[in-house]
Amino acid sequence: MVSDSLRARVGELAARVNGEVEESLGVLELTVNHSDAIEALNGAKNLVDVPCDFLHDLCGMDLEDHLEVVYQLSSLRGAQRLRIIARVERDNPVIDSATRFWKGADFLEREAFDMFGIQFKGHPNLKRIYMWDDFEGYPMRKDYVIESHEQRAIMRVRKEGE
Amino acid sequence: MDAFNNLFVNIAAAIRGLFADSHSLGADLTINIIVFILLFLIMVVAALFLSLVERKFAHWVSQRPGPNRLGPHGWFQFIADAVKMLGKEDITPANVDKFLFKMAPMILVGVTLMAFGVLPFGKGMVAINLDLGIVYFLAVSSISTLALLMAGWASNNKYSLLGGLRAVAQMISYEIPLLFSLLGVVMITQTFNLSSIVEAQKSVPFIFLQPLAFVIYLIAGIAETNRAPFDQVQGEQEIVAGPFTEYSGLRWGLFMLAEYGNVVATSVIAVSMFLGGWYGPEFLPGWLWFILKIWLVIFLMMWVRWTFVRMRIDHLMHFAWKILLPLSLVNIFLTGMGIYVYDQLILRIGG
Amino acid sequence: MTIEGTQEYSINMGPQHPSTHGVFRMVVHLDGEVVTKVEPKIGYLHRGLEKMAESRTYTQFIPYTDRLDYLAGPHNSLGYVQAVEKLMDLEVPERAEYLRVIFAELGRIASHLVMIASGSLDICGWTPWSYCFRDRERILDLFEMTAGNRMTPNYFRIGGVSHDVPDEFMPALKSFLDDMPENMEEYLGIFFGNEIAQSRMKSVGILPKELAENLLITGANLRASGVQYDIRKAEPYGIYDRFDFNIPVLYGCDTYDRHLLRLLEIQESIKILRQALRDIPEGPVMAKVPKVIKPPIGKVYHRVENPKGEMGWYIVSNGTTKPARVRIRTGAFVNVQMLSAIIAGWKIQDLVTIFASMDLVLGEVDK
Repeated sequence: MVSDSLRARVGELAARVNGEVEESLGVLELTVNHSDAIEALNGAKNLVDVPCDFLHDLCGMDLEDHLEVVYQLSSLRGAQRLRIIARVERDNPVIDSATRFWKGADFLEREAFDMFGIQFKGHPNLKRIYMWDDFEGYPMRKDYVIESHEQRAIMRVRKEGE
Repeated sequence: MDAFNNLFVNIAAAIRGLFADSHSLGADLTINIIVFILLFLIMVVAALFLSLVERKFAHWVSQRPGPNRLGPHGWFQFIADAVKMLGKEDITPANVDKFLFKMAPMILVGVTLMAFGVLPFGKGMVAINLDLGIVYFLAVSSISTLALLMAGWASNNKYSLLGGLRAVAQMISYEIPLLFSLLGVVMITQTFNLSSIVEAQKSVPFIFLQPLAFVIYLIAGIAETNRAPFDQVQGEQEIVAGPFTEYSGLRWGLFMLAEYGNVVATSVIAVSMFLGGWYGPEFLPGWLWFILKIWLVIFLMMWVRWTFVRMRIDHLMHFAWKILLPLSLVNIFLTGMGIYVYDQLILRIGG
Repeated sequence: MTIEGTQEYSINMGPQHPSTHGVFRMVVHLDGEVVTKVEPKIGYLHRGLEKMAESRTYTQFIPYTDRLDYLAGPHNSLGYVQAVEKLMDLEVPERAEYLRVIFAELGRIASHLVMIASGSLDICGWTPWSYCFRDRERILDLFEMTAGNRMTPNYFRIGGVSHDVPDEFMPALKSFLDDMPENMEEYLGIFFGNEIAQSRMKSVGILPKELAENLLITGANLRASGVQYDIRKAEPYGIYDRFDFNIPVLYGCDTYDRHLLRLLEIQESIKILRQALRDIPEGPVMAKVPKVIKPPIGKVYHRVENPKGEMGWYIVSNGTTKPARVRIRTGAFVNVQMLSAIIAGWKIQDLVTIFASMDLVLGEVDK
């Protein structure tokens, strides 16, 4: 399932970005720190013979002590697949934006920001996308508790210019 | 059969006979008031009935049953629609220009009614026998552009403004081919009087002499009444209802009345100028032939509506100015040539 | 650019609008009739499905998946149950696989019919709309016959399907397939062959191939821009590798091609359905699954070719009965970005047409 050339190239990339490579159900996973995420993405895009140049998904993930940004990569013209996991600190979740490579990462990063609070540096328009603009809290984090019925029953008034 | 043909003329003469002097001011006034009320009733009934027919026809085209609850096969639906419309709350939005907002539907209905005045419904059955018939009709019906612009501007709504401006652009562009296509008929008959034009078609209806003009007139007429495929004034999918967005209840009802009145007026002109008016084989009275021919043209207009999709505004203007207008000028030229050749032949052969 | 003395203005095509295919809001900046910028504002149908998944068991989440792309009811749960089966390394019986393919392709046809219908409705073509919905009613009857629900049948389970189809299903499906080619001729004639419709849609809303790949567009929108990529062929899931079908690709990149491509995809789906109908074996429809579904610790990213685009399921299991994370990557959500990228310079009426050709459904966009 994982071709040898892909394994070899990803191994080289991992050495460059101080990442760890695992295999999970037939897909290679490369775990890096958030500061190396952009370099890992760039490297994956430009892998010789097996470029992983199409970003399928970008999502956030909340583990107990840190957050993660998970990138699912593959290619429109090949069978290679790669998953890049970037660890982000929980208290100050900042990572560089992938919109410099794919314009389509725009909405995906806005959703990760809205749901987890991960700041993407260099994003053209980092605003909430699902929740309203002055919503407080980040719903998908594990410590976000769903509000009670009484709290939800309060009507919200729309402000000027929305 | 003659009695049927002249049924309404005889009734009018009988009413005149009730007065001492059958052409006094009193008699004239009475006849005019009765005719006015009749025209208004015709317009209202036509509008209500046509809206139902349109829905039935549309659903027949799309293989759906259409309104089928009220009355036999749903033919009383228009009563329910009328009652509903009369009972609706009249909402006037906050910041509208109140005078223009209220005047716009009234002007539209008034203009349509004025245009009805010159339409010949049968031999001798015309409300006002104007010698300027067709010119008066075209002049009056172009005021409806102004009413739509008033409705669009006064509604204080960007969608309505867009719709109103589109209405102005479209209706002005399509009036010119409309006019020029009718000019060919006027050249043949040498008169503007609608009754005389119909009488000139005793032997052959003008559709055989002016086929191109008939097609141009029909297309331009559909565009003037803002029906699909030219209905982006009331875009519905883009600008909700264009100038009619903010109107509710009876005011909107007046707009619909005017629209269907215009449909009837357009088809009456088509029938009078091209299809021979009230002439037809003898087994039916003249005014019944007239009604059947109007039905045919309205059926054609509805069929076009439910088959074609809407044109984009710049394609529409392109079509009017670059295709219909040159074609109608070509038609005038050909008609002139034809008349000249015909005169020469008559001179040679007849003389 | 504005002429001296004029002004740009902005219109709100709000959540309630006759043609925005659901609760979608756009702020449209206009210069006369020409659109200069569009800002989509979504989230009006956000129900928090991903958060809810973390407090439901794996089987309890299946009804929620149907509400994502509600026009192609059963297709959404296909990705989800296959992802969980990958995690648990379950083998699904043959008959269940064929039934899954049948329902998934019926969902695809239903969704594409709605897309063509609403594409035609947005340019005021009422007749093609009612013809498409007439045919869609037969598909919904098939769903109702099997599972009781028309649009969201909630039929798939982890390990197979919930129960076998009734006896009248196969004959009804066969008669539906026999009637469809003639109906598609009708659509071609009345909508795709209509000159006014062609002038409205051809060369409108060009999405070049490189821009499409950069914007991460997937699905039929990508294939109408010339990229031959379909997950059913690139990374076959289920038993799709046993069927013989083509991937239609068009190179016009415009609205007309996006509409026409979906018609061609309906034809391919009918081919698949005929083969499935011919080859379906008898047998059980549910594998031997433990009563309580507890996948081992692991992560899986499984993607299927949804009618709207690519639907990716990233499921992280922590060994308990409830997932640690269910991430739903929906095609329509990413495809919304196409609108603001290609809209500059077109008119309002083209905005409606381009929007219809993107084939969004707000259940997928907003989750």
